[in-house]
Amino acid sequence: MVDRGRVSLKNVNVFYGKNQVLKNISLNIPERSITVIIGPSGCGKTTLLKCFNRLLDEVEAARVEGEILVDGKNIHDPEVDVTQIRKKMGLLSQKPQVLPMSIYDNVAFGPRLHGQRNRKSLDGVVERYLRLAGLWEEVKDRLFEPASRLSIGQQQRLCLARGLAVEPEILLCDEPTSALDPKSSRNVEAQLLRLKENYTIVLVTHILRQAKRLADYVAFLYLGELIEFGPASEVLVSPQDPRTRAYITGEIS
Amino acid sequence: MRLSTAETRLRRRKWLDRAFYRLMLASAVIVALILLLILLTILRKSLPALKLSMITRTPGAGYYLGHEGGILNALVGSLEITLGATLLAFILTLPAIIFLNTYLKKKSTLSETIRLALDILWGIPSIVFGAFGFLLMLTFHLRASLLAGMITLALVELPILSRALDETIRLVPAELKEATYSMGANRWQTATRVVLRQVFPGLVTAVLIALGRGLGDAASVLFTAGYTDRLTTSLLQPVATLPLAIFFQLNSPFPEVQQRAYASAAILTLLILAISLAARFLSRKLGRHRIK
Repeated sequence: MVDRGRVSLKNVNVFYGKNQVLKNISLNIPERSITVIIGPSGCGKTTLLKCFNRLLDEVEAARVEGEILVDGKNIHDPEVDVTQIRKKMGLLSQKPQVLPMSIYDNVAFGPRLHGQRNRKSLDGVVERYLRLAGLWEEVKDRLFEPASRLSIGQQQRLCLARGLAVEPEILLCDEPTSALDPKSSRNVEAQLLRLKENYTIVLVTHILRQAKRLADYVAFLYLGELIEFGPASEVLVSPQDPRTRAYITGEIS
Repeated sequence: MRLSTAETRLRRRKWLDRAFYRLMLASAVIVALILLLILLTILRKSLPALKLSMITRTPGAGYYLGHEGGILNALVGSLEITLGATLLAFILTLPAIIFLNTYLKKKSTLSETIRLALDILWGIPSIVFGAFGFLLMLTFHLRASLLAGMITLALVELPILSRALDETIRLVPAELKEATYSMGANRWQTATRVVLRQVFPGLVTAVLIALGRGLGDAASVLFTAGYTDRLTTSLLQPVATLPLAIFFQLNSPFPEVQQRAYASAAILTLLILAISLAARFLSRKLGRHRIK
């Protein structure tokens, strides 16, 4: 069994200063599937996502306790190089954050970061991941234009291509379509569905319908606690916990 | 017929509104007029002396008594000293500010201390820097020269440049840095490959602001740069500067020389104006790739 793209959390607690944001989360993210984290706003979904690649290190008052294992290794181990951990993960944020450079340079950024200099290889990488993100046809004739000129839907797909170019094992998506129009959203969702064959995807969303469309597994987070976790067919259709049921039927949001 | 209280209040509000509008408009107009007045006065007093020879010739014999010549020495000297000082200040401040914003946490003691130091430096009058520079010169047995003037002027520009750089680099959105870290970039790579690119137009503007300020500073170069009627070609020779040229010429009892003082002032003002316009133009042009 290949130990690739496996993420698990054991008794993870996250504090922002004195505030406890995540309480005792234990979770095993299944590989090569889409795990969707749902829950009302402010319950810690984004914080949970940021734990995986240690982005919380950059946040001032954040403190993380507990074990987070990626491919069997504890990511907080002092011997671990955080940039290597982050390389295994691609992050897609809510608001597309393109880098202040051309479209080509955006996608090539990751590979260049990790030492790739050969122009031909980079050309290949750029094309490959732009195709994978479903953006190639639209930008192939203007690869050297500033990325900021793209529409927001295109920018999000560019961020997807850029994240994929690092060749991660895991994709972390934080409400990736909430800033997009319906057509672009459908586009991004379609790409994610194709990608799950090769990547472990963790997606945070507050759109239940999106969860229904995309999820293989669902985790319900409420007020910082993991209430329920299981296959989508179970959690979304016949949830066991009353709070899950209340959220899914729209009583709490 | 008496007006109801509601109507009185409404009328008074309208009147106040109009009154304040007029007051503010008047103040804006006054400020603009002051600027215009200064510019026109300088131009008027300098008109007879505004000849091409002012900027193409150095002072000839008896220049300060009214004879032929120009202020090419001061023009070139000012450019030499200011460009050198700005470069020095830039080399020193840019890494410091990048360090402040990328490597240190926002509220650490070190970052607060550094920012406090910069704030205090900002308030120090340039003549104090001049005195300090003079002291350094005496200690190292340097004569008044281009080098001594450059170092002192660099000290004056330091707080200006660092504040302008700090303001610009601080504005980089955290999400942009997060996105970069998420790809496995370390701090150095984030700082150089993303942050600097994002702030590049702001960097150019900051440098030009400091440059403009440095061109017009008299107090720091008063004791440290010396003065000469010739063009300076070596770092260890004294150098002429525009502010001092204005000072010396204004001191003269001869009206022709005084007119030249105003002409020098006009040239200095024009130079700084050109730099400001260049700063705006470049900032817009270079901002192509930036994230809005």
